[in-house]
Amino acid sequence: MNGPNPSQDEQNESAKDSKRVVLVVDADRCIGSGMCEMLEESIFLIDEDTNIAGVLGDGSLAADRATAVIDRCPASAIAVI
Amino acid sequence: MNNSAADRIPFNRASVDLHDAETFSAGIPHDAFAQMRAAKGLSWTDAAPGDQSGFWSVTRHEELVTVSRDTSTFSSAVGHIQIYDIDEDALDARASMIDLDPPIHTRLRRLVSSAFTPRHVQQYEVAIRQRVRTCVDAFESAGGGDWVEMVAAPIPIGVICDLMGVPERDHQLMVELSDHLVAGTGNEPLDPGAYGNTTELRLLPFNSPAAFGMSEYALRLGDERRANPADDLITKLIQADVDGEQLSDEEFANFFRLMIFAGNETTRSSMAHLALHLVEFADQFDRARQDPLLLPSLTDEVIRYSSPILYFRRTVTADTVLGGTELHKGDKIVMWYAAANFDEAQFPDAQAFLADRPQVPAHVAFGGGGAHFCLGASLARLEVAVLIEELVKRNMSLEIGDPLFVPSNFVNGIERLPVTVIT
Repeated sequence: MNGPNPSQDEQNESAKDSKRVVLVVDADRCIGSGMCEMLEESIFLIDEDTNIAGVLGDGSLAADRATAVIDRCPASAIAVI
Repeated sequence: MNNSAADRIPFNRASVDLHDAETFSAGIPHDAFAQMRAAKGLSWTDAAPGDQSGFWSVTRHEELVTVSRDTSTFSSAVGHIQIYDIDEDALDARASMIDLDPPIHTRLRRLVSSAFTPRHVQQYEVAIRQRVRTCVDAFESAGGGDWVEMVAAPIPIGVICDLMGVPERDHQLMVELSDHLVAGTGNEPLDPGAYGNTTELRLLPFNSPAAFGMSEYALRLGDERRANPADDLITKLIQADVDGEQLSDEEFANFFRLMIFAGNETTRSSMAHLALHLVEFADQFDRARQDPLLLPSLTDEVIRYSSPILYFRRTVTADTVLGGTELHKGDKIVMWYAAANFDEAQFPDAQAFLADRPQVPAHVAFGGGGAHFCLGASLARLEVAVLIEELVKRNMSLEIGDPLFVPSNFVNGIERLPVTVIT
């Protein structure tokens, strides 16, 4: 799965929990629908001034829940990094 | 025409006249849409008299989503978002965020988007339930009546007017003005002088004098709020700062009209269709009565089955291929939401009305995603869900008369629906 020289991040990630992924929001695409905030309030918050979704903390989420929130975003603004 | 495309796929013509409101006079033309979905490539319709060009129809879910999400290839700002052509000055005069592309579209949308997030709309639930109960109580004690006039119309207009800050005494005027806007998509000519209109009809949205009436109303209300700010969306729009500038009178009035129209006409249609569903698919509502966890999926099924907005148009900005059909810059692309919502490839047994139909893949009654996804989707879902809950709770037995559909190729509305409560 990993190349011969996995990066430090990849090593940490696999050591911590191989089924967690880190999510980011594309601010240009975000339409502020708030779907992410409703589904996963621990890691998403709509900024009150900009009305754009932001990621809280390390932005990590179990892979299956990440898929669900990515699928439900009407603007396709959420991605795994 | 399109010789190179014809080499690859046959040239298909839509089998019904999609310009003609009459085609939609008994609801969604399911058979014609099924034929168009089954045909390879997109289906062509020739230009109507007065238009410069015909249009391609998108009827499959997958391609509709592609068009919706690619706003740079499929523009809302170039050309009109209705099928018919209008002049450049008319486009400018009516522009609101729905007729614009990102990034300006998105800057305008964010002025109001926070009021419509799922988290935010939860706080309206008590007020919505109050409105729903009042209407349903009155309907029940009257033994029935016109479901549209007594239930489907007053609830959504009440909700959106409260949000905007339109006083209760003017709610009925907003319903009337919205109806006259839609009338502009029908076959009948409208009185150009109605509502004191002095503007050329070609410059007005839906070519309807009601757009003038609504703008005049908006500007008056805007002046009132400038003097006495309140906690409502009118005040927010008046005070808005878009890249250091305030909205012009025209921008403000267009924004207001869009919010009132989109906030009441569409949800009204779903609520009207809901009465038909209640009777025709009573078993599915019985399931929800026994299992309240089905409410969210049942709500989306009502909205999918209603498909209140039949289509929106985009205009191609660069040559491309979609579904095997070659498209050229300037081509008109019409997304038939009411066709994609019954696409078997996404919705197995699509004509079946199922309380537990999965919510992913999502229906496209709120659009196929991307920048223009319905701003009020969460609010509409909440309103419809509360109405379903209150109806299911009462266990009313209804007898439905013949619905009178709105003569339009743009909205799947119901003008009148006689319903009797059986005791």
